[in-house]
Amino acid sequence: MTKRSQGFTRRRFLGSGAALGAGAGIGIGSFPMRLAVAAQPFKIGLFIALSGPASLFGPTQRACAELAAEEINQKGGILGRPIKLYPTDAGGAPAETTKSAVRLMLEDDVDLFIGSHDSATREALVATIKGKVPYIYTPVYEGGECAFNVYVIADTPPQQIHPSVAWMMKDHGAKSFYFIGDDYVWPRKSNEYARQVIAENGGKVVNEEYVPFGAPNKFEEVVTRIKAVKPDAVLITLVGADNVNFNRTFAGFGLDKDIARLSLLLEENTLHGIGADSSRNLYSCMSYFANAPGKANQEFKAAYFKKYGAKAPQLSIIGVDCYDGVSCAKALVEKAGGTNARRCMAASQGLVFESASGPWKMYNQHVDKTMYLALCKGTEFDIIKTFPDIKHGQTCRA
Amino acid sequence: MDPLVLTQAINVVYGVSTLAAVTLGLAVIFGLLGVLNIAHGEFVMIGAYAAFVAQWAGWPFLAAVPVTLLVCGLLGYVVERILIRPLYRRPFDTLVATWGLSLLLREAAKAIFGRGYHSLTIPVPGTLHFLGTEYPTYRLILIAISLTVVTGLVVWYSRSRTGTWIRAMIGNPELAQAQGISVRKLASATFVTGTCLAGLAGIMVAPLVPIEPYMGLDYVLRAFFVLVVGGLGSVLGLFSGAAVIGGVNSVISAVANATYGYFTMLVLAILVMWLRPRGIVAQR
Repeated sequence: MTKRSQGFTRRRFLGSGAALGAGAGIGIGSFPMRLAVAAQPFKIGLFIALSGPASLFGPTQRACAELAAEEINQKGGILGRPIKLYPTDAGGAPAETTKSAVRLMLEDDVDLFIGSHDSATREALVATIKGKVPYIYTPVYEGGECAFNVYVIADTPPQQIHPSVAWMMKDHGAKSFYFIGDDYVWPRKSNEYARQVIAENGGKVVNEEYVPFGAPNKFEEVVTRIKAVKPDAVLITLVGADNVNFNRTFAGFGLDKDIARLSLLLEENTLHGIGADSSRNLYSCMSYFANAPGKANQEFKAAYFKKYGAKAPQLSIIGVDCYDGVSCAKALVEKAGGTNARRCMAASQGLVFESASGPWKMYNQHVDKTMYLALCKGTEFDIIKTFPDIKHGQTCRA
Repeated sequence: MDPLVLTQAINVVYGVSTLAAVTLGLAVIFGLLGVLNIAHGEFVMIGAYAAFVAQWAGWPFLAAVPVTLLVCGLLGYVVERILIRPLYRRPFDTLVATWGLSLLLREAAKAIFGRGYHSLTIPVPGTLHFLGTEYPTYRLILIAISLTVVTGLVVWYSRSRTGTWIRAMIGNPELAQAQGISVRKLASATFVTGTCLAGLAGIMVAPLVPIEPYMGLDYVLRAFFVLVVGGLGSVLGLFSGAAVIGGVNSVISAVANATYGYFTMLVLAILVMWLRPRGIVAQR
């Protein structure tokens, strides 16, 4: 095989795809072919936050992906090829990340992409990769991604919002909600969905409000407005430092006594920032918490701390999703017998793979999950309710 | 008065006074010495981390004050001596140099404390019944301290002998030197005062925000806005800048929402720079 040094054309891509497909069909079983292929690493472009505000998650994302790669490589890699990760920054502007994606496809010839980043970057990457290379998207998101050759293992609104909001209304007696979020696609789409759930359960949304994403926001004015309206609960779709600032201001004004808060992206790092004095009456609903029960998570954590020691980066859903992503990549490519787009799409339907939370099954390019509702106790999550096997609710046709 | 309106009014006062306090250090360094200190936010960050260290070590909250004065003072002295002194009257060069310094300080914070968020227990928790409404006690204290510190510095600067020397140094360094004022020492002391004030502001805001290596970026941008809009080198400039930037943002955020607040602030900043490039309170 000659080294591709010129442009990455459609014809060239189809050619190599066919060659791989043929190899998978004919040669994999035979010994000499396997030897020849074994020398080539399986290259995965890993989009994580190495810079910018989200770079808080970078070390965990990288550590988890490397752990998964190491475990898989010890068992023979993917189709006999050892995994080689290409950690690439997705913490900056989407346009910068797409440039890196093109470089990874043209120069490094990556076999697959895994991405743990915001939705604006995902949309740009989907438009750039155009289904030429399988792309696995991993964190919490707003749903609706059905692009060809894109596989989503993220928590969707029907998984996060439906059980938690319904629980808050039925068991907690919340009738009126106040929405506060950062102004971009994930909060807006999530709130759209939450509005339906609240209406179905006979509640009402008293206000929906957004703050500019990435600006140095302060929340005294917002909190004062919430205080005047007195809702039963606040649904928070703020991320990172905004989430911390809002919750600290909220508690500072003494609203935490009477008003419950449900945050849709509240993991261990953010809770540390919010702090014990501001986390009363604060809930989070996600598919992973570092202290989630289950054998799979125990084993995952044992391996993680064995590899990285006590000073390992803080475990949280953003990070562990990269472990799940690499695991999904192995299952997908081995079931498809290669990275041919059509075969991967076909293989994804009914694909079963091991996540850090146990086995997950993919259909319609998404996965069903067990969800956990946690109440903050100081800077720890106390899981008060488990919702087993929640459907992803996405209607993509693979 | 309606408690909601009153609370929003206090929010505006809070926004303006804390913004003035956070800007004060830069007002001294940029406004008086003309040094475009991009690392201003990182000195604020050092103060916040000092407060975090004090809590972690089990010391009282105010123990952060001597720690900050020591760290920011020493650092300010060394930075002025090595980085700034050769670059006086070369604004663009100081900008690049202090930008590098800000990166260095941020990376140092990452290396020492890690990338994650830290939070501080609020030293004075709870709310206070104030003019018929509830307002967080710590924020009320911050308003008082901010106004006191800013006013105190202003009075000192206009009345004291050192203040006169500084004004002489700014007006004509050679003549001041000839008059027996040690311009070098004075500039050094002024710079150190600026970095220490930034650090003290960091202690003040530390219990309210996530303490992290990138936190300085939030403050440096606003501080520059305040000074450019208000006008350099005067107290009135500092207050009018803080009133416009912080006040407009707070008022619009209160009556509309935060997006319009931020938008209006940027539009106003552009308008002022366009129509009154020397700031609202222009010097000379």
